[in-house]
Amino acid sequence: MDVNVILQAIINGLLTGSYYGLAALGLTLIFGVIKVINFAHGSLLMVGMFACYWVIKLTGWHPYATLLLVVPMLFFFGYAMQGILIKPVLEAQREVREPTEVIIVTTGVWYILDNLALMIFGAEYRVIQTPITGQIFMLGDYIFPKPQLYGFITTAVTSGLLVWFLKFTKMGKSIRAASLDRDAASLMGINQYRVYNIAFGIGAAIAGIVGCVLIPFYYVFPTVGVVFDVKCFIIVVLGGLGSIPGALIGGAIVGLIESIFAQYIASTWTELIVYVVFLAVLFIRPAGLFGEKRDW
Amino acid sequence: MNSGSKRKTIDTILKIALAVLVFTLPVWITSPTYLQILIMLFLFAYLTTCWNLVGGFAGVLPLGHSAYVGIGAYTSTVLWITWGISPWIGMWAGAVIAAIVGIFIGIPTLKLRGAYFALSTMAFGEGLRVLTENIMQVGSCVINGPRGICIPLVPGNNLALYQFVNKVPYYYIILIMLCIAVFITWYISRIRPGYYLAAGGEEPEAAQALGVNVAKYKVWAMGLSCFMTALGGTFLAQLTLYFYPKQILGLDFSFELAFIALIGGRGTIAGPVIGALLLRPVSEFTRIYLSSVLPGLHLVIFGLILILVMLYQPRGLVEPLSRFYDWVLDRLSGEKKEVKA
Repeated sequence: MDVNVILQAIINGLLTGSYYGLAALGLTLIFGVIKVINFAHGSLLMVGMFACYWVIKLTGWHPYATLLLVVPMLFFFGYAMQGILIKPVLEAQREVREPTEVIIVTTGVWYILDNLALMIFGAEYRVIQTPITGQIFMLGDYIFPKPQLYGFITTAVTSGLLVWFLKFTKMGKSIRAASLDRDAASLMGINQYRVYNIAFGIGAAIAGIVGCVLIPFYYVFPTVGVVFDVKCFIIVVLGGLGSIPGALIGGAIVGLIESIFAQYIASTWTELIVYVVFLAVLFIRPAGLFGEKRDW
Repeated sequence: MNSGSKRKTIDTILKIALAVLVFTLPVWITSPTYLQILIMLFLFAYLTTCWNLVGGFAGVLPLGHSAYVGIGAYTSTVLWITWGISPWIGMWAGAVIAAIVGIFIGIPTLKLRGAYFALSTMAFGEGLRVLTENIMQVGSCVINGPRGICIPLVPGNNLALYQFVNKVPYYYIILIMLCIAVFITWYISRIRPGYYLAAGGEEPEAAQALGVNVAKYKVWAMGLSCFMTALGGTFLAQLTLYFYPKQILGLDFSFELAFIALIGGRGTIAGPVIGALLLRPVSEFTRIYLSSVLPGLHLVIFGLILILVMLYQPRGLVEPLSRFYDWVLDRLSGEKKEVKA
């Protein structure tokens, strides 16, 4: 096989892996702080995609301009979801570290959102023409599709901002404190549930960003979230639940597996390879690449 | 006759009446549509009872049980189509394979905590679906990938080949399977391994400290659950005579089983049956009458019920219902709550 072909496959894999990683970033942040797997994460992403789709359709904005609307919307959505639905369950199960009841509530949200979207928008796959759809950027012999390239840059900027926020702002420090030890953090005067609301809101907002990144090159349909849900679960476990670099590197790994193996075998089989790698990681090293032992 | 034993008599009479009613239902209900709904109700009650052995008693959240339904359906069907082995024999082969797979998956995953276990079972189920969709044929066994398998029809009611023209035999088969499954659950809940399982499900560390090998009992429960689930898979295959990976190995199937158990009451004997009794009609009737207008409505309703149950009745609906049943018994036996206390 040609070296150029392999290099191009690696480029494609990294570009794809970047938005996978971004999708997983929100999930891993929520798990890291609240110790809850948000099964509705893919549905939040779907909500973000539909929101972005309709804003573009109605106003004709550039997809990245819609971030101004979609990100706050998803933030409040996540904030409210945590405050209204998850907080009561967490309070009732205070002594349990990872109550399964919360997984179930988020699964309920997943089913409601996906099927509401199905009822409202129908099952058809929608695409929308944006100024960057189908555009490419050439570097030497290598092709960088612009939508994916912008996605890569967005991932870098978003994760940089997130790390800065967690490291240097007061709220970020509170979030980190609550994720290390919720009781000790409460004793230090941190309002535990407010921190959770904000962490959940940020996680949802990141899902909204992914929605906007995907719009220029991906179909929108009510169950689009499931595709990303399963990928995100695999990525966060690969990288270690709760770890930010883990999510990004896990995303890159999954992207690379998909694009490199697609050179040799049918793409339906690459999906299987991802699952096999995932189960192998779970069996051999459940904490993933950067996870903590006590989480599993 | 004191009121305590009177209460017991009424309890027995009610239960016998219920049993007689259930066993004679096909006499009253002749419409195949309603019979089909009842059969599916019992099938889901049966599968959820099997799920409950792991998801309820072992205290973890399996989200990939459709994998074992699929293993049962595919094994018995392939054995029959390829070598002419009756599904009655093939279903045991499917059950053994499912149990082995379940134990193999259970050994590493049952050590994991809640979220990790849920994710790994889900990934296994999805992985198996993708694998099945990619295989057209293994040797002389036809799998047909995503198109699924159609079971060739045999003429008339054929007990030896597990195929019947009318629904009544299916009704009794699944009813007996359900009774056996409920009995097994009841039996396990009152023998020593059952106590170990419950202890390990609620407080793994404490049980471990008392010298209970929690992991071992969980793995056995997983094996038994998968074994029985696969038998249900063969039944489903014989009932519908056509199945494909997205349906029988799908995520929605796995989630529906978990939902029924959780809404009914996980870890209880009656919970799965009550859950199926409440939820199956919702899904059947919305599918029949509203699916063309509002597709997915039944899943929205499921999701809403699920969230409400988790918020207000996290142990499931079996609790308020059994309180209601006690109240009925008290009224019928003319006994006041205060007197009893």
